[in-house]
Amino acid sequence: MDKDRIKQAYLDYVLRKGTPPASVYKLTSKLGIPEADFYRYYANFDAIDREIWADFARQARQRAATEPVWEQYGAREKLLGFYYTLLEILKQNRSYALNSLHRSLHRMPGLTPRVLDDFRQDFEQFVQDLLQEGKRTEEVAVRPLVQDQYPRLFWQQALFVLGFFAKDDSLNFERTDAAIEKAVTLSFDLVGRNTLDSALDLARFLVTRR
Amino acid sequence: MSDDTVMPESGTPDAPDARQLASLPTTKVARAARFAKTGLKVGANYVKHYAKRAAGVTSETEDLHAANAAELYGALSEMKGSVLKVAQMLAMEKNMLPTAYSDLFAQAQYQSPPLSGPLVTKVLRDAFGRSPFEVFDEFDINARQAASIGQVHRARKDGLTLAVKVQYPGVADSIRSDIRLVKPIALRVLGLDEAQVRPYLEEVETRLLEETNYALELQRGTEIAAECAHVPHLEFPRYYPALSTNRVLTMDWLAGEHLKEFLATNPSQEVRNQLGQALWDFYAFQLHTLHRVHADPHPGNFLLRADHGGMVGVLDFGCVKEIPADVYALFTALLTPETLADEARLADLLTQAGVLRPEDAPSRRTFYLQTMQASLELVGRPFRQPTFDFGDPQYMAALYQLGDELMQQPELRQQREPRGSAHFIYLNRTYVGLYALLTELRASVRTASGSFG
Repeated sequence: MDKDRIKQAYLDYVLRKGTPPASVYKLTSKLGIPEADFYRYYANFDAIDREIWADFARQARQRAATEPVWEQYGAREKLLGFYYTLLEILKQNRSYALNSLHRSLHRMPGLTPRVLDDFRQDFEQFVQDLLQEGKRTEEVAVRPLVQDQYPRLFWQQALFVLGFFAKDDSLNFERTDAAIEKAVTLSFDLVGRNTLDSALDLARFLVTRR
Repeated sequence: MSDDTVMPESGTPDAPDARQLASLPTTKVARAARFAKTGLKVGANYVKHYAKRAAGVTSETEDLHAANAAELYGALSEMKGSVLKVAQMLAMEKNMLPTAYSDLFAQAQYQSPPLSGPLVTKVLRDAFGRSPFEVFDEFDINARQAASIGQVHRARKDGLTLAVKVQYPGVADSIRSDIRLVKPIALRVLGLDEAQVRPYLEEVETRLLEETNYALELQRGTEIAAECAHVPHLEFPRYYPALSTNRVLTMDWLAGEHLKEFLATNPSQEVRNQLGQALWDFYAFQLHTLHRVHADPHPGNFLLRADHGGMVGVLDFGCVKEIPADVYALFTALLTPETLADEARLADLLTQAGVLRPEDAPSRRTFYLQTMQASLELVGRPFRQPTFDFGDPQYMAALYQLGDELMQQPELRQQREPRGSAHFIYLNRTYVGLYALLTELRASVRTASGSFG
């Protein structure tokens, strides 16, 4: 299929040269297809980058779910499982991942790199589902208004994990494993019923008594 | 489930495991910060102690030790891996430490926050290339037991019940820096001089790094088990190389209970004697014939059972001390009655061992000689008698008292240069651990180097 060929050729090019091709024409001429064909699938190279990242997220979700105990996992374990699988995938594509992140970060410092836009959509949907499930299993506390922000919170966590991975210099990225373990545990401590809810409950009680 | 190893309670009831894990500092900086905090608190305890004393209140040194140990343990228990290991090692040195420390450190052997299920799966996937649920017929994702640098899972395959030891990721990497972190604060808290220990750290570091190499453990465990097969009433797990890597070790799941739980079942004196005898014979054979010993005889590494009159299951060959020929000769010579009776001979041996030095002032020389003579008289006593009753409470009390006295000796406390061979660290640790086990068992043992000598 042309779309996959284009994507693969682009990926190979970036991996070999460390930078995207100078023009769409250069890529299509190498593939021996008319330039116009490229635009039937992608508007530009950035679109391919975004799609490759979205593929990472989708693959991670699917592969993590093949784990025999997946169904027995709680929301916290599922998120952990997702991250560890994502890490495996990124490990195999680390050069490309770092390259595309750096290119994207350079343009937009401090914000979510544009290259992750599609990845983010996929991820937040996944988190939404997990949170729904977590509410059923009471891993996640029901907090009207606040809970709408949870996907954003978890997205920050995903960015933290990616950033940690990008800078990790430990063997086999074992530190990233630990970072994931801690970050996910913390996030579920935060969204689960905790001290804050009790404090809020007391405050509400005191206010309504007046 | 009667054949199960009884699981020690992991984690304190008010601190869920997840919480512990979240607060687990991994980076070197975080760990250092944690230690610095401990240092401060320990300092504060001393201030309180001296303030009380100045105010005329007699604050027992015991209290101070207990307070310090609690702080230190709090810090150590939040750190996994090598720090825990060092704590355990210090815990073994019961004769070197006030009892409060050792009791608290002993807890570290059982308390360590577990890895999450997905991380265990990932580590095993890295090791085998497949999910543990595919590799084994059954795999329990919840750890049954915390080993010091890993955790133990129970699995089944082809009708066998297996113990799968999974190493905490990153442990091997952080050991060196951990030793450097532990050194200044832990040693100060324990009242040891840094310079006194520095030359020995290399020895400790080597052992600790060896312990992270499960492939080496598998090899040694298999070899020593084969060599000790004829020693009665011992049981060793079989190791499975095909299911093991540097970071994962698969072995038979042995039945039995740890010392504390086993003693709670009120075993008879005969059973306790037989268990003690098996342990003594095991170590005597390793020392005298194999010249290498399982150097980690803490209670967590032995599983005890009452059947066949008492059986000992031996686990964990991560820490094995190879004894060079000259060190062996020295060690055994020091324990003979002739040496004890003959001061010139003792002085000669101690000079060889590096405890005495030709340039020592006569007063210092006499002091060391007397101290060592007193220690050897006590420590070597079981070796000089045909049978020895470790149930004698006076004996262990005398050992502890000796340890406390040595700690209090101004000469020893101020000692700036290290003394004695570094090889003795693990030899001492082994026998201190063995004595502690035998005393807790209150076993009467035929100690004469007979059939295995």
